[in-house]
Amino acid sequence: MEPGRGGLTPDFSLAGEWRGKMEEGKAYSPHGVFAHLEMLEARAHEADVKEEEAKQQEEKLARLKARVQELTLQRDELQAKVDLQQKRQLEKEGVASDPAQPSAQAVLEWKIKRVKAMLQVFCLTGISGKLTKQGVCFCISTAYEGTYLDSYYLDLLTKPEVRILRHSIPIFIPLEQLAKKYLQTDIRRFLSVLSNHLNAYAARKYQADQLQEHFSDQIEGTLQTNSLCNLLVFNYNVPNKSKTFPFNVRLLYGDLCSSIPTKVTVSCTWISPLCSALAPHSKKALE
Amino acid sequence: MDEIVAEYIRRTVLKIPRDEIKTVLQKWGFLSEAQLQTINFCQIKENISQDVVQLCEENSAGVKQAAVLDIIYNHIYSNKRVWSVYQMNKTGEETDFFDVTDFKKKFKRRLQSALTNVTINFREYEDNAIWIRIAWGTPYTKPNQYKTSYVVYHSQTPYVFISVSVLKRNLPLLCQALVAASNYHDIHEMELRSHSLNSLKDIVFKRYSQNFQSYYPRPIQERNVGPENSRIIQENRNEKERIQRVNSEVFGDGPQPKLEFARYKLETMFKSDPQMNVLNKKEPFRCLVKFSSPHLLESLKSLAPVGMADAPLSPLLTCIPHKARNYFKIKEKKGVSPRSFVSP
Repeated sequence: MEPGRGGLTPDFSLAGEWRGKMEEGKAYSPHGVFAHLEMLEARAHEADVKEEEAKQQEEKLARLKARVQELTLQRDELQAKVDLQQKRQLEKEGVASDPAQPSAQAVLEWKIKRVKAMLQVFCLTGISGKLTKQGVCFCISTAYEGTYLDSYYLDLLTKPEVRILRHSIPIFIPLEQLAKKYLQTDIRRFLSVLSNHLNAYAARKYQADQLQEHFSDQIEGTLQTNSLCNLLVFNYNVPNKSKTFPFNVRLLYGDLCSSIPTKVTVSCTWISPLCSALAPHSKKALE
Repeated sequence: MDEIVAEYIRRTVLKIPRDEIKTVLQKWGFLSEAQLQTINFCQIKENISQDVVQLCEENSAGVKQAAVLDIIYNHIYSNKRVWSVYQMNKTGEETDFFDVTDFKKKFKRRLQSALTNVTINFREYEDNAIWIRIAWGTPYTKPNQYKTSYVVYHSQTPYVFISVSVLKRNLPLLCQALVAASNYHDIHEMELRSHSLNSLKDIVFKRYSQNFQSYYPRPIQERNVGPENSRIIQENRNEKERIQRVNSEVFGDGPQPKLEFARYKLETMFKSDPQMNVLNKKEPFRCLVKFSSPHLLESLKSLAPVGMADAPLSPLLTCIPHKARNYFKIKEKKGVSPRSFVSP
């Protein structure tokens, strides 16, 4: 059926139907036919309207697409203009200034860079800090004889009173004791003492590790130590002529702020063939 | 060799995954390399365990060697057990020269004086960790090697890690022995439990990643930035960066300690519209909230970047490693108490 062709021209397919209906009986009133025709007309009209709508949608879509492209183009143009202007601005400044006399901006940047470098170098001194929103964060770096070891952090609150918010100090360092003693009264002393503790611990640990590493062939078994490395016990053998003498060393570090032992016990368990019957071993303790 | 010992060794070997049996036996060191070569480690575990028992028979293994094998197994597969953290206190300020031999002697003496029928074995590790294995008996029966508790202690620290055993009644004895041996005064259980022993250590020893502000030059971390598509414009880039920054401040940049759950016991009042007539009695509304996850802290860390929660997260969630606890009791806010919280 061809849409868009309203009117009373019946279609071929319907002609038969129409005739059939006419032939069936004169029971159908003439209104039936017209109603049918009206229905067909309405149907054609609907189809028309739909087609119009679809066309309108398509046109609208095409218009919007064109608009999007237009706007994108405009945006690109404006962006290019802004970039160009910025470049020109920089060039102006560059050209206007005397290469021997740097601009205020450059001077400021150089100053900032220098201060930042200073702050970084400051970390190498062992104790450095940075102001935070709530207080200050200290960084204590440890070192031993030119080798830099671990760094530990202490985040302090300053209001209403000075206290520790959080930290990364090992648990076996007596931080609470030191804080109770010095934190409120003399913060410089607190940091100094804490730094001594940490540096001494790091040094003792480093020495123990180096001993294990470099003298592993002479040491029997493993080094016995503890978390603070303030007690070191190990055995080593000293060959002499045909015999080897087993020595046992016990190093005690009484001062936690020092990396030098306070008490050394060296003993030798050696069964002398002469006095094996009388005394099982002879010991020599040196202090 | 004792039948019980043989069976115990056999069962311990059966627990180990087949591919790792050889490594564990090498760590044990009781069987020589030559003996280990004679075992076919490709056969079924049942047969491997029989072969191992055979060789142990040749070397006359005793309870001590079997116990050492058990410690090694539990050290490698420590995440099969639940570990609790206990804290000790002492009042003295003297420097402690911790001597491991001294500690072991005192511990054994104290525990055996209270209960003679116990098997106690020690093993020290490189990181100053002392592992103690205790097999419990009763005043009338020999120690049962299958009823064991494990204790991990780092010298000169106030923390002890205990694997909860079935025999809770022996816990006070164990605690007393620990306190005596380590020169402390008392011990109490902390509200911190997990399967991952190393994560518990990280939390209490403060070894987990915290973001400290400093001028110390740190290497710039490579952020995984995918290929930038110039046609995609991130409208909320600022917000994303803010969330990333806040997250970094709270959680740090490194991996988080591994916890499986956090439990909050609420004892707060239910607040509702008085006209609704719900729970008019002024009684606390008891409620238990439990967060479970294979890796709780990592999942909390990713909540804000993924968009499921606002950043910064509630301090109740983010304080877990800092406060070293994952069991909380929340009561009504009475004055300024850091632990209490008013329910919404």
